Amino acid sequence: MKFAEFICPEAIRADLAAVDKEGAIREIVQALQEAGRIQAKEQENIVKAILKREELGSTGIGRGVAVPHTKHSSVDRLIGTVAVSHQGTDFDSLDGESVHLFFLLISPTDRPGDHLRALENISRQLRVDTFCRFLKQAKTPEEIRQLLDEADNHQFGS
Amino acid sequence: MSSRPLHRTVVVTDPIGIHTRVAVAVAEIVHRSRSRVKLWVDPAYRAEGTEVIQILGLAAPSGSQVHLEAVGPDAEAVLDALEPVFADFEKQVPCKNSKG
Repeated sequence: MKFAEFICPEAIRADLAAVDKEGAIREIVQALQEAGRIQAKEQENIVKAILKREELGSTGIGRGVAVPHTKHSSVDRLIGTVAVSHQGTDFDSLDGESVHLFFLLISPTDRPGDHLRALENISRQLRVDTFCRFLKQAKTPEEIRQLLDEADNHQFGS
Repeated sequence: MSSRPLHRTVVVTDPIGIHTRVAVAVAEIVHRSRSRVKLWVDPAYRAEGTEVIQILGLAAPSGSQVHLEAVGPDAEAVLDALEPVFADFEKQVPCKNSKG
């Protein structure tokens, strides 16, 4: 599953202000709402669902990456976005490192396969060191969009 | 106690497949062991057992066969510990991950 199939380009953020987990999740979900991908009335409910999922174990999966996610009945297909935090966010990650790169995913309740395929793509692309490093260094949403496009077009050799 | 690789094939019975919590549980078990573990569904993509990011790259749905390879002094024990992780995760004791 390519990034273009689930990442909402208008919701990409290149410089998160939040320095803690809840703040980062709120900021990214807000971006999806502002991009029109989730309804305003569902926003708080989605934030709470993602935070509840984090209580089961952090999605800060190491190497400065987090994949906060939830299932939610208000979406009818997988949606997601990318956010970069230059100062780093305390996310209770497995390796204790701050998170600089977020992939936030919201899935319909009945499509677990799409969620796995999105994680597969994120994972395999991040295995390419240059892609991961360039994303973390990106200064604008446009730079991030270009990097995702290049990854989709196999320009990082994955 | 040999360095000969031990292999085991497990079937993913978690209804979602290898999702994030499964991957985290695998990495935590491997981190605690003294063996090196690799996992794959397709031999062309092998994940390092300590790397959650790589394990998620397996994208293994429910019903898929995952091949485990362990090398090290506690290879047999780590394979024994890993095997149940691929069963239905919701029916197991929730495991809140920790740092380190």
